[in-house]
Amino acid sequence: MPARIRFETVEEGDELPARDLLLEKDQVRAYARAANQWSARFTDDDGARKEGLPGMITPGNMTMGLLATLVEAWAGAGTLRRIGTTFRGLVLPGRVVKLCGTVTQRVESDRTVEVDVWLETDEGERAVIGTATVKFD
Amino acid sequence: MPLDLDPSILGQEFDRAEYGPVTAEELIAFARALGETDPRYTAAGPDLVGHPTFCVRYKGKKFYPENLPKNINVRSGFDAGKDLELGVPVRPGDTITVRSTAHEIYEKTGRTGSMYFVVIRFTMTNQRGETLAVVDNRFMHR
Repeated sequence: MPARIRFETVEEGDELPARDLLLEKDQVRAYARAANQWSARFTDDDGARKEGLPGMITPGNMTMGLLATLVEAWAGAGTLRRIGTTFRGLVLPGRVVKLCGTVTQRVESDRTVEVDVWLETDEGERAVIGTATVKFD
Repeated sequence: MPLDLDPSILGQEFDRAEYGPVTAEELIAFARALGETDPRYTAAGPDLVGHPTFCVRYKGKKFYPENLPKNINVRSGFDAGKDLELGVPVRPGDTITVRSTAHEIYEKTGRTGSMYFVVIRFTMTNQRGETLAVVDNRFMHR
């Protein structure tokens, strides 16, 4: 599948189209099932509270997956080469999160682009931050 | 308390696990749970491949090597982050071998005291010996 944008048109400082997403509890449960992470903390409010959490939380791996999807929605499926994320805070389902990204580097020699990515909670906290590398044809 | 680390444990494979064969249904369910709509990841057929982060659903059977420094309380900790280097995509029918190594172990001191980070590297290959992904899992312990 061709990239949705062309390398030649990318500039450092470009912002990826941000995505507001209502993270439904059922979607988090579907991810926990599909990702082999079925445990109370990701699927059940009462079970999560017994672990000292405020309620069920979103797996860090899922937030990384959402950020990967954001990057490929911009650059094209199959273009992501690397993604690294730091999980800094809890991401609670049932709320709107914002997925964001900015181009930080454009490398002409190997036609790659470095991107800063982050997930912002509805309270404005960057609960997940990271970087990604995209390779263009 | 400084880490009592035996450096020889770094880079040593301490676990090997095999999974699969991967089904198209598993690949599609994973992608759809992320809200993915691209047919490359969601349409059954010869062109279907796994979402770029599909490999993170796999891990070793043993969580940690046995000879971690004793001052790391492995009973209490959390997932602090993940780095994923992608190789060839996962396809239906693939079997996945996960090799686990202790990649990095270090201490950081913050306002609330010492924090210990353990980075476990999963190197994942398919039945043809091709690298699917290298996943560094960073766990934090107090």
